[in-house]
Amino acid sequence: MEFMPNFKLYRPDNVDDAIKIKTEHAEVRFVAGGTDMIVNVRRGIEQPQCLVDLTSISNMNDITEVDGGLEIGANVTLRNVQENKFIRQNYPCIAEAAGSVAGPTHQQYGTVGGNLCLDTRCLFYNQSEWWRQSNDYCLKERGDTCHVAPSGKRCFAAFSGDLAPSMLVYEAEINVVGPSGSRRIPLLELYRDDGMAHLTLEPGELVERVHLPATLAGDPSRYEKARIRGSIDFPLAGVAIRLRKGKSNAVEDIAIALTAVNPYPKVISDLQNLIDGKLSEDELDFIRDTVRKQSKPMRTTTVAPWYRRRVVGAIARRLAAELSA
Amino acid sequence: MNEIKPSKSIGIRKSLVDGPEKVSGKAKYSSDFMPIGCLVGRIFRSPVAHAEIIKVDIEEAKLLPGVKAVITGDETDEPFGILPIARFEFPLARDKVRYRGEPVACVAAIDVETAQKAIDLIKFKYKELPAYFTSKDAMAEGTVDLHDHRPRNIEREVDFELGEVDKGLSDADFVIEESFNCAEVCQVQSEPHAAIAEYDAEREFITVRASTQVPYYDHLMLAKVLKMDEAQIRVVKPFVGGGFGCRTESLNVTLICALVARAANGTVGLTVSREETFITHRGRPETDIEMRIGVKKDGTITAVDYTAIQRGGAYSGYGVVTILYSGGLLFGLYDLTAVRYKGFRVLTNTPPPGAMRGHGITNVRYAFEALLDKIATKLKIDAIEIRRKNLLKGPNYETLNEMFINSYGLPECLDWVEKESQWNQRKGKMGKFRGLGVACGHYISGASKPVNWTGEPHATVHLKLDWDGSITILTGAPEIGQGSSTMTTQCAAEVLGLDMSRFQIITSDSKLTPKDNGSYSSRVTYMVGNAAIDAATNLKKILIEAAARKLDANPDDVECLGEYYSAGSQDEGLTFNEVVTAALEGTGTITVKGNFDTLPESWGTKKYRGGAISGSMAYAYAAQVVEVSVDPDTAEIKVEKVWAAQDVGKALNPLSVEGQIEGSVWMGMGQAISEGTLYHNGLGITNSMLDYRVPTIIESPPIEVGIIESIDPNGPFGAKEAGETSLIAFIPALTNAVADAIGVRPTDLPVTPDKLMELIEKNTKNENSVT
Repeated sequence: MEFMPNFKLYRPDNVDDAIKIKTEHAEVRFVAGGTDMIVNVRRGIEQPQCLVDLTSISNMNDITEVDGGLEIGANVTLRNVQENKFIRQNYPCIAEAAGSVAGPTHQQYGTVGGNLCLDTRCLFYNQSEWWRQSNDYCLKERGDTCHVAPSGKRCFAAFSGDLAPSMLVYEAEINVVGPSGSRRIPLLELYRDDGMAHLTLEPGELVERVHLPATLAGDPSRYEKARIRGSIDFPLAGVAIRLRKGKSNAVEDIAIALTAVNPYPKVISDLQNLIDGKLSEDELDFIRDTVRKQSKPMRTTTVAPWYRRRVVGAIARRLAAELSA
Repeated sequence: MNEIKPSKSIGIRKSLVDGPEKVSGKAKYSSDFMPIGCLVGRIFRSPVAHAEIIKVDIEEAKLLPGVKAVITGDETDEPFGILPIARFEFPLARDKVRYRGEPVACVAAIDVETAQKAIDLIKFKYKELPAYFTSKDAMAEGTVDLHDHRPRNIEREVDFELGEVDKGLSDADFVIEESFNCAEVCQVQSEPHAAIAEYDAEREFITVRASTQVPYYDHLMLAKVLKMDEAQIRVVKPFVGGGFGCRTESLNVTLICALVARAANGTVGLTVSREETFITHRGRPETDIEMRIGVKKDGTITAVDYTAIQRGGAYSGYGVVTILYSGGLLFGLYDLTAVRYKGFRVLTNTPPPGAMRGHGITNVRYAFEALLDKIATKLKIDAIEIRRKNLLKGPNYETLNEMFINSYGLPECLDWVEKESQWNQRKGKMGKFRGLGVACGHYISGASKPVNWTGEPHATVHLKLDWDGSITILTGAPEIGQGSSTMTTQCAAEVLGLDMSRFQIITSDSKLTPKDNGSYSSRVTYMVGNAAIDAATNLKKILIEAAARKLDANPDDVECLGEYYSAGSQDEGLTFNEVVTAALEGTGTITVKGNFDTLPESWGTKKYRGGAISGSMAYAYAAQVVEVSVDPDTAEIKVEKVWAAQDVGKALNPLSVEGQIEGSVWMGMGQAISEGTLYHNGLGITNSMLDYRVPTIIESPPIEVGIIESIDPNGPFGAKEAGETSLIAFIPALTNAVADAIGVRPTDLPVTPDKLMELIEKNTKNENSVT
């Protein structure tokens, strides 16, 4: 770990002040738990003059039941998500995902908002200043070459948050607050397919809270990720599945979302043919193959992309089989 | 009155004598010694892998306010290195840089921000040369030599044949061969490298504190590169957060710190980052092994023929010793009658590896034990039985390379793991994707010939007894977390029959403690333990004589009961304090010393050049059974349970021994399934604790430790090595278990899920392949 550079720290107690500070300064970043961002600051990937700490904003700290659905403030820690009874019962894969982030100490500090807005990752990017300088930087930061795909002009850094896929299968929406007011958008619209700028937030905007719909509450779900170690590691590939069964075990609704295999959390399409049918071997193979087809892992980690594609399909198949059993 | 008995310390579970400081956070490590006014050192490192240095322009950096010194390779033209025959590395690069990250310049400034600004102002002009990142590329025809005196980039070639190998192979019923690749691994000890150097210009004297396993070698190298008299240097080793071999030679961090402190005419602290600690390296080299073993139908080994190629990085370090251990230490575990070994230590444009735990033999042993397992499967002989078939003939045994073996607990280790793992009941009946594997290993108890031959004893311990009745142990043996201070205290306390609380220990301060070669090659328990026994025996003699004078008795009649001395013929004896008072009469504070030296019979063989390497006073033995499961969907390996037996001679402190064996399992598990450095054109891409995947507590399996005590006739209370042997046995035991679980035998380390899945798929396509 490199030394911590000097910066000015603001700790506003309301959203308006936070946005005001953010827009009034240059080289300023929001920070919540800081478990990922501070590492990037120490590595010189982020070189902010100011940090705006959001954790003292009190109305972003709660998990609230609203008409059978749920609102989760962006400051809620991953540990609190994991331990929340209502989430565990009604949106189980979200609790599971929160409990799988890094290690217990990270979960104690890391927040919902931070995990949703997690920067994309790449082995050519998440390195020290000396390392990146010696490697002529990269497309995502100060350079003009992508070392993952040197002939292209795109950044393939992978989105590696665990919470996003688990919330996407429950069709979560988010409140975004910024200088021009507040808007509510589907969580999916927070992201775009660009490793360099994967968030659609405008300057000065922040994610204030997440809304989980009542209609899907109670649907069974699972989240699992492949990684080398059972702790600390970011996912090599992560899968969230929500599967609701109807009469005689037929599929009433199914949703699958992935992480770490694209620059954004990927919601799997083309699953509609599974509705009203049963998941026998053929359908499970179909799920596996569809997931593999729609995942596009690149050489952003030390583990081979072909393996990550294979395993993301295998995990999806296994979780689907488990939920349909 | 209760019967007075001497206190016992040996064979008892003792918590570490320096434990309270560590767990309470009071322990001071090198980077905790930063006095007011201490300057911050920061290293400018080469961005390129191989280049001629044209100019290192430091003029602007020097002018920056707050900068007190900037030094380059011009600061010293004296090279350093652990081996007198291979000293060609400079603290700061001079004519060339040879790996990415090699130190080129160092700044000392008032704070870290200023130091970094100065680093950014250094202009490094160079002419790039072709760079070689693999052994194969470096050894190829027409390459540029990294060093002029090492043609074809071969640092050392070893070639020996003991016994008749061709005959052995032709007499064999089966000859099985295989190629193995073991990735380069690093120690990842908890404390990054740090040093603090305090230069006293008035006296031209320097005091250096450093995170080291070898303060004495640091002392020698500091004198060399600083061109100072040894008497003008003091080296202190504070608490050290582990080493596992990466600190068994003088590191450039320490030497640079001293050089820049002198240039700045002040005190400089230099703590490097985790990434820089990886770059400083001295881990285990990437090793390619081709091995064939000939066997009779009954499993008797007739010959072994193998080649090991080590990617040695840009400088030698311990390299010559490593490639020699890879040959010499094949012997001594099994009865081998014919062995041919070719070893190549290759110079490449990567950071230099060194002497990692299980030095030199770990990868070769992995290959051997994996191949032996494959043979057992082929011959349908039980994997434990084939090992029994090839055991040494008795505990007193001389190998082809003349090893000095006087205790051999391997048979008992095998018996223990067989019984405890219920091997006979469970092996072959584990069901799908679950398996059991066994393997063995051994290691030296200290190298019998030191790398720096001086004619002095191998170890010296001082005991100071003063009027207050307390005994201070003074030893140069570096406590680095392995428990050497506790061990030394136990040995002295046991001889004197006193409780350990009467002792305090001071270690590794060149102004206070006697010289010691350092904590490496598992030498400390054997050598320093024996020296402590010798010192305590000498002190006891003085105390008995004093008691005899006071009691007016014959010393032969005086009995030492620890806190009480009595003469057989008298009712009243003396308390320990009374004996101390008597002993100090007319002489004052008593300092005694004890020594240990190795026996010439243990100095290895002269049959080939470098045969002294692997000579030791004793060898420790291990057998392990590992149970694994493999996830068929993800090819992830889970270590379900480990049974680890080790013959440690005598467990002086069973608590410490268990800790060492458990730690060996963890470290072995890392190398086996998840750890390995990777480079992108010579830039280390796994140089953080996130990307270099050391197993966490979640991966830790239940470990059953079996302590086997063979009581070595020359060991301290019979003790031998306890900290390295079990690591060596774990790795092949794991891969053998994987082969048992899925019918596919891994050859390359680490067995990460992507590599294992590739193997499984290859095997599915070729169902007839023999494992």
